[in-house]
Amino acid sequence: MKTRYPDRLGRRLTGLFLACVLPLYACADQETDTLVVAFSKPLTTVDRLYSIQREGLILSRLTDDGLFFVDPKTLEFEPLAAASYEWVTDTQLDITLRDDVIFHDGSRLTAEDVVYTFEWVLDEDSDTSRGPVIQRWLDSVETLAPGRVRFNLKLPYPMALRDMAVSIPLRKKGTYEDETADAPLNGIGPYKVVSFSAGREIVLQRFEDYYEGSPKAGPAIEHMKFRVIPDQGTQQAELLSGGIDLMLDVPPDVADNVSHLPNVERLEGNDIRIGYVTLDAAANSDPDTPFKHLKVRQAINHAINREEITRYLVRGSAEVVDFACHPRQFGCDGNGPRYRFDPVKAKQLLAEAGYPNGFSFDLWAYREKIIAEAIVNDLKAVGLDVQLRYVKLNVFSKVRNDKDMEAFFASYGSGGTADASASTGVHFARNSARNYSGDEALADTVLAAERTIDPGERQALYRQALNRIAEQAYWVPMFSYSQNYLLSPELEFPVPKDGVPRFWQASWRQ
Amino acid sequence: MLNYVLRRGFMALLVALTVSFGTFALFHFATDPAQTIAGEDAPQEMVDDIREQYGFDRPVSTQYFNWLGGVLRGDFGESFFWKQPVVELIQEHAGVTVMLALASLSVTILIALPLGISAALRPNTWVDRFALSTAVSAQAVPNFWLGLMLIIVFAVTFPIFPVSGDSTWRHFVLPALVLGASSVPAVMRLTRTGLLDVLSSDYIRTARAKGFIGYRLILQQALRNALLPIVSVLAVQLGYKLGGSVVTESVFSMNGLGRLAVESIFNSDIPTVQSLILIFVLTFVLLTLAADLINAWLDPRIRMG
Repeated sequence: MKTRYPDRLGRRLTGLFLACVLPLYACADQETDTLVVAFSKPLTTVDRLYSIQREGLILSRLTDDGLFFVDPKTLEFEPLAAASYEWVTDTQLDITLRDDVIFHDGSRLTAEDVVYTFEWVLDEDSDTSRGPVIQRWLDSVETLAPGRVRFNLKLPYPMALRDMAVSIPLRKKGTYEDETADAPLNGIGPYKVVSFSAGREIVLQRFEDYYEGSPKAGPAIEHMKFRVIPDQGTQQAELLSGGIDLMLDVPPDVADNVSHLPNVERLEGNDIRIGYVTLDAAANSDPDTPFKHLKVRQAINHAINREEITRYLVRGSAEVVDFACHPRQFGCDGNGPRYRFDPVKAKQLLAEAGYPNGFSFDLWAYREKIIAEAIVNDLKAVGLDVQLRYVKLNVFSKVRNDKDMEAFFASYGSGGTADASASTGVHFARNSARNYSGDEALADTVLAAERTIDPGERQALYRQALNRIAEQAYWVPMFSYSQNYLLSPELEFPVPKDGVPRFWQASWRQ
Repeated sequence: MLNYVLRRGFMALLVALTVSFGTFALFHFATDPAQTIAGEDAPQEMVDDIREQYGFDRPVSTQYFNWLGGVLRGDFGESFFWKQPVVELIQEHAGVTVMLALASLSVTILIALPLGISAALRPNTWVDRFALSTAVSAQAVPNFWLGLMLIIVFAVTFPIFPVSGDSTWRHFVLPALVLGASSVPAVMRLTRTGLLDVLSSDYIRTARAKGFIGYRLILQQALRNALLPIVSVLAVQLGYKLGGSVVTESVFSMNGLGRLAVESIFNSDIPTVQSLILIFVLTFVLLTLAADLINAWLDPRIRMG
């Protein structure tokens, strides 16, 4: 039997297919003056007041301005839409607004807009994600005169400027009642939102009427596009093919490999994020846990080789940290005990605590498995029987919040805030699910620091708290993180000191 | 036949409800949705506020039956993460997944049928071995790896197709190839076996005696009968593709239901995950049911018991 096959048809179809698909694709580049950045996670909204994501913070620095901002050079909180400010008392802050700030719809910023924004966030029914941040310290906001507002605080709160800078972008009065507004966002930042497709992309255009007196004035790039690409491998392919100009949060090993390829450049910078191991000193997880013994906690501190982990696994500009905060944060200047890597001393301390043959426990972790494994190896080397419980973040959070962990390796980014209140304060406050110390006096010190306006006094209180944490070895402070960026060689991008990119500073290389 | 349909439909509903309750309970016992929604670095006040706002402090059974009651009334709830009705969210993402599933099914048919027919027509020759090797390779290669390889070759080295996205039909070519390839082995083998059986049957010998040869014999006489079981397999494969394109959608950054499911799981977006699981289970069960009914219709022995 002989059968004929349609081989000519196959060739014709192949030719037709290739002819259809050969046209090339528009790329991110200098010619179109469009910076394309990949986001790994989808952004659910372009309104920072309703976003909790880091991507939302990055975008908000382009589309929004607050009364204050984080100075990229000093990481201090400086006036932005505010022209000046004055603490009248510890609980009264008067702010004079700039008179040249314009919303993207062309209207001018007024004191009524500022009052509206803060009252909206304070209103529990508005359900903003920022509400819980300011509701605990802000009582009310009132207009004093055109262009002047007064903030009445419930209690002295030195981080008020931080919250205004990081959490509260200004909105035009009536924004959330106006259902006819067609723009995705009416902000006052140097870029306006042209289009927003949730889960896909956000397109921005430079706002030409942005106030010239702003420290963020005069951004060089006209268009920006943020594309959501969850897979790191796909992001690399997009970078190599010219589909994107910049990758954020690149793991060091990926950065090592990809940066050797042509047309890819690598940048490395700091991050306010720190890694640490928490030990259950309060015996929350088990009343008989060995971690309630100071000598056991000190032994754990001596057993982990933080220097080598930092140098070989975290790499880049990462540094060993000795206290429960990032060295770049205000107030992070403890002078208490520092624990050097000393496995012999660790064994001796374990023996003195009554555990000459070690004991068994689980170390929980949800990120950087290789580092968690290195910690486990160091602990095993001093005779401890450690099992790594590596889980997803949502599982980790549940067990940690239920206070069911004997020890866990975690990290904290402090929301990019260069102040110890954002790290020490968060982890050792009385009601914090992260607080495994059970130390009431320490919680009082942290609370006092959070409510003290005078910088010198605050610093002294944080030093007292940090020294107490170190003396009691509640934590094993591990290291600060390093950020890696992969980018097109055409792009000039100043590396942020706090790990939060400010794309209004980006430009094309000539 | 009606009894058979009702029996299978009831079983399908039980499967859907069991999976749905299991998922709901797992989310609540294994994770802290409030902390996940608030974010890794959220202050405690924000976490507590979310726990109260979303009712996570109520008993799990109460939360589940509230959700189920809503579903029965046609209200799938609002997404915790996206802050929009789940129905709208699913409608927005379904188009990409359906298009990808149909495109990949076309790829499967275009590759598997010719390969299967060729292998059956020349059994135990190099053509047969080539077809079988292709099938085995397609089965062995993981989707994410094949996806990245296709991207490197056809989007980076030779920029014929875009790397990622879903805005034009060109964006669907590479993902359809990846997803389609995974179904090739099953369909190809079934085509080969079915056609070999049919070609050795008496009526084909009779047809040959009547002068049917070449294309006419294969297409009009043999393939028509051999394809009947393949149709039911394709229905099941379509179910897999509608619910199982998670990896492909992530690699190619396509905004379909698979990626929505992954993001919802990572963000403890319980209403969305629950609704998606219900949809995936029902789709799969209905397609399996359709395949069973086709078989039952073809073969009276099945429907009789």
